[in-house]
Amino acid sequence: MDWQGQKRAEMLMQVMLVVFGVVAFVVGYSIGSFRTMMLVYAGGVTLTALITVPNWPCYNRHPLNWLDPSEAEKHPKPQPVPSKKKGGKHHHK
Amino acid sequence: MGWIADGMESIRSLQIRQVLTQVVSLGMIVTSALIIWKGLMCVTGSESPVVVVLSGSMEPGFKRGDILFLHMSKDPIRAGEIVVFNVDGREIPIVHRVIKVHERQETGEVDVLTKGDNNFGDDRLLYARGQLWLQQHHIMGRAVGFLPYVGWVTIIMTEKPIIKYLLIGALGLLVITSKE
Amino acid sequence: MHTSVQRLNTLVTFAAVLLAVLCGVASFFDGFNTHSVHGTVEVVKIRKFRKQLNGNEEVTMNLNISLDMQSTFTWNTKQVFVFLAAEFETEKNVVNQISIWDHIIPDKEHAKFQTQVPSKYPLTDQGSNLKGKKIDLVLHWHIMPKSGKMIQDKLPLSHFYLPEAYL
Repeated sequence: MDWQGQKRAEMLMQVMLVVFGVVAFVVGYSIGSFRTMMLVYAGGVTLTALITVPNWPCYNRHPLNWLDPSEAEKHPKPQPVPSKKKGGKHHHK
Repeated sequence: MGWIADGMESIRSLQIRQVLTQVVSLGMIVTSALIIWKGLMCVTGSESPVVVVLSGSMEPGFKRGDILFLHMSKDPIRAGEIVVFNVDGREIPIVHRVIKVHERQETGEVDVLTKGDNNFGDDRLLYARGQLWLQQHHIMGRAVGFLPYVGWVTIIMTEKPIIKYLLIGALGLLVITSKE
Repeated sequence: MHTSVQRLNTLVTFAAVLLAVLCGVASFFDGFNTHSVHGTVEVVKIRKFRKQLNGNEEVTMNLNISLDMQSTFTWNTKQVFVFLAAEFETEKNVVNQISIWDHIIPDKEHAKFQTQVPSKYPLTDQGSNLKGKKIDLVLHWHIMPKSGKMIQDKLPLSHFYLPEAYL
């Protein structure tokens, strides 16, 4: 899943769960059945899981274009100036 | 060759840092759970603010595995309330309903008799030998709130300790191996 | 959010929090339900009035009870526990509450009824102060929800006087 896909999946997950929660409550309250509310909500959670948990292709439409290695060699990495304090800065992956 | 040593150094310090972060986050989880528990104790005034129903003596109201929220206020105990009480010589507290109350004229001391909704007779058989009434100090709190099924987690864990250790192991592994 | 396990974890956590919120809101809405309970109770006959071996007095009686508890039921109600308490004051005790009859109402359809029953538990005193005593009959009910807060209320229904002599 690429970055945009992750963002979309998370948004979708939160919005869908809240919407299903509200729908479940309204339906349950108007029918007067606690059981119906639970069933609607459980259905909503399952659907949300099906949509947002697996790595569907639609979440992979924005692949990261990594810099080509040959391109990188043309622009050498700036060498760190030998500092007094070691290990102060790391290249986080 | 200096850059290799430098790189090794940075990798080593990274690992130490990561291990420390994991330890701290694990500690945070444990302490926040403790804080919530102790905080609830302060707010509710009960020494165990949440109890799990272990027997079917209050069915159909409370089934095995339901959890109850307790509150211990200064208000005197009255008939009809569901109280959690300890009996001398019994480890596990009991959740039953108050059916008789006698409150003294001057001292305000109470004598209380309880009964499980699903039981045939009152609780005198469950009390300590010769004990006819419960007093205020036997009572840990009265039930004010209810959630079904949640307590099954603890019932399963106390009855099947292997599952508990597996779960704790898996959670610990997850916390330690997961990266931020 | 880059692995399925992580997404599943987030989903389950968020879903559980929302579930707790749903239960809380359902219980909160129960608070707006104003219930008005109607009922009458009369003591048809005092069957027994005597002193037990331990010196405490004991009374059993027949009761005629008619109740309408329908308004206590909402969609979040699992059952209503209703009981009749005999309440009186003695020289020794400022409060005496003795449950003499109780009943579990499972649903709204069974919440309106009329019945003639013997008292389920004897009315007992700590000591013997009951002769000629005025006894209040108070209906208490305890609404047990499917989730959330339990609600308790009561309604004094009637009173009667015990006879001056043992039966």
